[in-house]
Amino acid sequence: MRCFLLASVFVFACAAIARAAETSPTTRPINFANQIVPIFTKAGCNAGGCHGKSSGQNGFKLSLLGFEPTEDYEHLIKEARGRRIFPAAPERSLLLLKATGELPHGGGKRLEKGSRDYDLLVRWISSGAPYGHANDPFVVSIEVSPKEKTMPLGGEQQLVVNATYSDGSKEDVTRSALYEPNDKELAKVEESGLVKVFQQPGDVAVMIRYQAKVAVFQATLPLGVPVATLPPARNFVDEIVFKKLKTVGMPPSELCDDSTFLRRSCVDIAGRLPSVEETKRFLADQDPAKRDKWIETLLDSTDYADNFANKWGALLRNKRSSPQQMMGTYAFHDWIRDSLMANKPYDQFVREIIAASGDMSENPAVAWYRQVNTTTAQVEDSAQLFLGVRLKCAQCHHHPFERWSQQDYYSYSAFFSTVGRKPSGVPGEEVIFHKRGAASATNPKTKAAVKPAGLGTAPVVLAPDEDPRMALADWMADKNNPFFAKALVNRYWKHFFGRGLVDPEDDMRETNPATNPELLNQLAKNFIESGFDLKGLVRTIAQSRAYQLSSIPNQYNGVDKQYFSRYYPKRLTAEVLLDAVNQVVRADSKFDGLPTGTRAVQLPDNSFNAASYFLTVFGRPDASTSCECERSQDASLAQSLHLINSKELYDKLAAEKSAAAQLAADKARKNEDKIKELYYAVFSREPDATELGLASGHIEKKVKGKEGKPEEPVAVRQAYEDIVWALVNTKEFAFNH
Amino acid sequence: MLTIYGQSDGKFCDGVSRRNFLKIGALGLGGLALPQLLRAEAQQGIRKSQKSVIMVYLPGGPPHQDMYDIKTDAPSEIRGEFRPINTNVAGIQICEHLPMLAKIADKYAIIRTVADAVDDHSDFACLTGRSKRNQPPGGWPEFGSIVSKVLGPTHPATPAFVGLEPRMQHRPYNDSSAGFLGIAHRSFKPGGEAKGDMVLNGVTLDRLADRKALLAGFDTFRRNVDASGVMSGLDAFNEQAFGMLTSNRLVEALDLSREDKNVVDRYGKGDPRPRGDAAPRMPEQFVLARRLVEAGVRVVTVAFGFWDYHSNNFRTAKEDMPIFDRALAALIEDLHSRGLDKDVSVVAWGEFGRSPTINKDGGRDHWPRVSCGLVAGGGMRTGQVIGKTDRLGGEPAERPVTFGEVFATLYHNLGIDANRTTVTDQTGRPHYLVDGHLPMRELIG
Repeated sequence: MRCFLLASVFVFACAAIARAAETSPTTRPINFANQIVPIFTKAGCNAGGCHGKSSGQNGFKLSLLGFEPTEDYEHLIKEARGRRIFPAAPERSLLLLKATGELPHGGGKRLEKGSRDYDLLVRWISSGAPYGHANDPFVVSIEVSPKEKTMPLGGEQQLVVNATYSDGSKEDVTRSALYEPNDKELAKVEESGLVKVFQQPGDVAVMIRYQAKVAVFQATLPLGVPVATLPPARNFVDEIVFKKLKTVGMPPSELCDDSTFLRRSCVDIAGRLPSVEETKRFLADQDPAKRDKWIETLLDSTDYADNFANKWGALLRNKRSSPQQMMGTYAFHDWIRDSLMANKPYDQFVREIIAASGDMSENPAVAWYRQVNTTTAQVEDSAQLFLGVRLKCAQCHHHPFERWSQQDYYSYSAFFSTVGRKPSGVPGEEVIFHKRGAASATNPKTKAAVKPAGLGTAPVVLAPDEDPRMALADWMADKNNPFFAKALVNRYWKHFFGRGLVDPEDDMRETNPATNPELLNQLAKNFIESGFDLKGLVRTIAQSRAYQLSSIPNQYNGVDKQYFSRYYPKRLTAEVLLDAVNQVVRADSKFDGLPTGTRAVQLPDNSFNAASYFLTVFGRPDASTSCECERSQDASLAQSLHLINSKELYDKLAAEKSAAAQLAADKARKNEDKIKELYYAVFSREPDATELGLASGHIEKKVKGKEGKPEEPVAVRQAYEDIVWALVNTKEFAFNH
Repeated sequence: MLTIYGQSDGKFCDGVSRRNFLKIGALGLGGLALPQLLRAEAQQGIRKSQKSVIMVYLPGGPPHQDMYDIKTDAPSEIRGEFRPINTNVAGIQICEHLPMLAKIADKYAIIRTVADAVDDHSDFACLTGRSKRNQPPGGWPEFGSIVSKVLGPTHPATPAFVGLEPRMQHRPYNDSSAGFLGIAHRSFKPGGEAKGDMVLNGVTLDRLADRKALLAGFDTFRRNVDASGVMSGLDAFNEQAFGMLTSNRLVEALDLSREDKNVVDRYGKGDPRPRGDAAPRMPEQFVLARRLVEAGVRVVTVAFGFWDYHSNNFRTAKEDMPIFDRALAALIEDLHSRGLDKDVSVVAWGEFGRSPTINKDGGRDHWPRVSCGLVAGGGMRTGQVIGKTDRLGGEPAERPVTFGEVFATLYHNLGIDANRTTVTDQTGRPHYLVDGHLPMRELIG
């Protein structure tokens, strides 16, 4: 307590916030919602793990985080035969005896006797525990000061939070507000609102919550190294990324070499490794525009469509739950792939999905409604996937760190209120249609009917019998929609850079801001102006110098995780890794019912995962959720064992047509040339002298044998098997870097 | 000889002796990352103070009233033919076909009133403590996956969670998964799909050592380019994998030939053939479970037998119960004699109970309204019976217990407050580990 008082004194001494001292807390009549409930929130009483959960705790229930003060009041005053509040002897109130730990309390001691909060509770109870008056002011907004600041590593900043009431009055609520940083590696915030920054440079946002209101404090924590040289900017992406690097003093790595660029862009755009021929041609090409030309080659290839159809197929839940659904999943996959190949504008792509009607054979996009088959799922999937907004929380209560209320949730859900289903000619598939009637949903709290409305907008006006989903698509595609384009460019940015400008990429909210908002805005603006051109977006990103930076850190930027001062290596995905292994080893995977030579990245749905331990263990998603996070990058013991020691790989290595067998049998070329070719295949680069020496040395050792007896030709072939095995087990192979 | 439980297909007996293992172990150390490996081994020492849980799942739903809750006063069409016997705790009686457990009733507690089962042949309730309905996107993670997420491994290269159960013919017996926590927290399954990868596939240990040296030479890509830690993780797991293929703690833990033969014998001898459409009766897995927790694994799951006695309830029970009795009693006693009883919790139960009325085939049918569970160790208060069923053993009469309460207790035993700890699903929604269930006062008091 004393510490707090000292801190307060320090705070109040700061000139900017003298206003705080003006209100006189001991004279004003107490309002339950404004003064008492925040005590419960701050002390954690109404947290989801305690009395705030829907069933309460040991018979005492509070609303989650105090979002429903009237309900809390009822529970406190009227339940438990009134024992919780005892106005005749306030200190003997059960509420206080439990909270201070004087009586046994499952939650332990939450409140100090004699603290300001304690005294306020006593005063409230002794004055008859009033709720307050209907016309008492209520909190309309909160405001943090400062809003943003550049702070030195290891620095501190005291925040001050003021609440503005409906009557225009203000109150300092710094000590009642709750604080949470969005990146706990960068900073922590004490209960008093004191921000303490660690030694990791980056941008950090602190969410401040008071009653149902949130505010954000944003801190930039620069490294502060002078940035002397920057590569020439290729497009606006570079201008904005480099500007940020200068601001935060984070010198970027150099541009990557041609081999790295070739492999990196090929994996990211086309979902495969470059071939040996492509590599040789690219490295030999003297055209200064060869990188741009290569990007165009990839964008024009069917591999681009395969790769992104694989990505979108999982997010759009193209999942086969029963064998009968095969026709549908194949058709939907084809539809996605064709749309991407034809570069269908993204707004149209989304419209055709969310407003899909008909049956699978005439309109494959209705398949989205097969897995996403409840209104709840349609609301949450569409918001998370297309708007980057996680609405889930607002289904049952006010979103704890967003502005979304249940009213917003159910207004949005009304867009899906006229989705009708009936059996189609194909067993297991349904016809999706627009049911006649007015679109509307019920807010379960107020029981009122609500009309469809986009997030944060007024209800839309619909013509009689108009399919509200069309209005939803219109709202999304509107150039002023604050979510739609940003969500997509952010999702694609993460695809290429390994980290979203907002991260996680589908959790965009005021309290989780972009590390480079200017870039996010400009990318979105550019995307809208291009007519939602997906290939154009890929081109813009891939051509940028920011994308073409080396992943090798310089002496400063090894710590960078947010500013894209270098390329952050990414694990190859399960599908790409399997295809890459096959390409290098020269083998094919066999997938049930698909032609030999079908690559994993081309698989139409999730049903092949169960039969492929490789895909399962490396985490190919099962299309169970619309979250990119279903695809895991994490390493595991089972993965290591499989790549090091699986019979599957050993058989491929030793097969008659394997790379090792062919290279061993090729007597026309020297070992050195053959090893070079392997390196082209695996890493798209030439081996250096050490690597060459190591590989040739291994072959010679094998040929000589242990007792000096040559073991040709088995020995040479075995030696090549060993080399191929070792190369596919390197990190340089397993990562896109 | 390295023998791993399960069907003996000779895969693990590829003529490699312990001497060779040691030899290649030394070679392996020379090959790659000597300091890390040494450090790893040093850090990996036996952790007797490690809190852990062994979960025994009895697929099919064992007959509660013929095991721990015999109703001698019920009419004959309900009572059954088994007689109760006294245990070493006054007032507690269990079935005559569980004689070994009867001798150590002070070392476990019987829950007679698990009351929230559903009529569904699945391991879901026993391994997640949750209902299958209204799952969050990605699905509820099982207990071991959550512990893996919340506590992590005791050592970077020791899996936190090992699943010894086989893939069973009735697929829902393997319903539980890492759910929304994803592959990183899936159980490591030495008997499942990873099994084939744990033995050398046609290369000699010499050649593996050669390859490893070669890899060390090629794998020069700097780990410091990756700040996310995935690369370091990959290296750690690769080391563990090499260790496993040569010699290390996890493999040793899985190697029953390293166990005192008398101890293994005490648990009883199993038969690797699956029973019905479920699991084999393999007491050896109980030994392995104990060895794994000693090696630092936090959660081990085991499935035992096939308990779906729609016909010939008594004849089959007379066969199954003594094997189970001996194995479980040996495990519990073993944990005590090794001083692990405060650290290691054991739970053994099935997805539901069986009908009071004996059907025309002499069987008992599904009965989700009440079933029994047995818990031991973990510092719990044992030597007691919790709950009471009605006269016919068909409904809880006193103290109905939920799966969630038992799970809250198991989390508590691991030092996790399940009502304050959250895991986040793929929509970003945090979930408490149990929905408001508290650890059972009877057990933790």
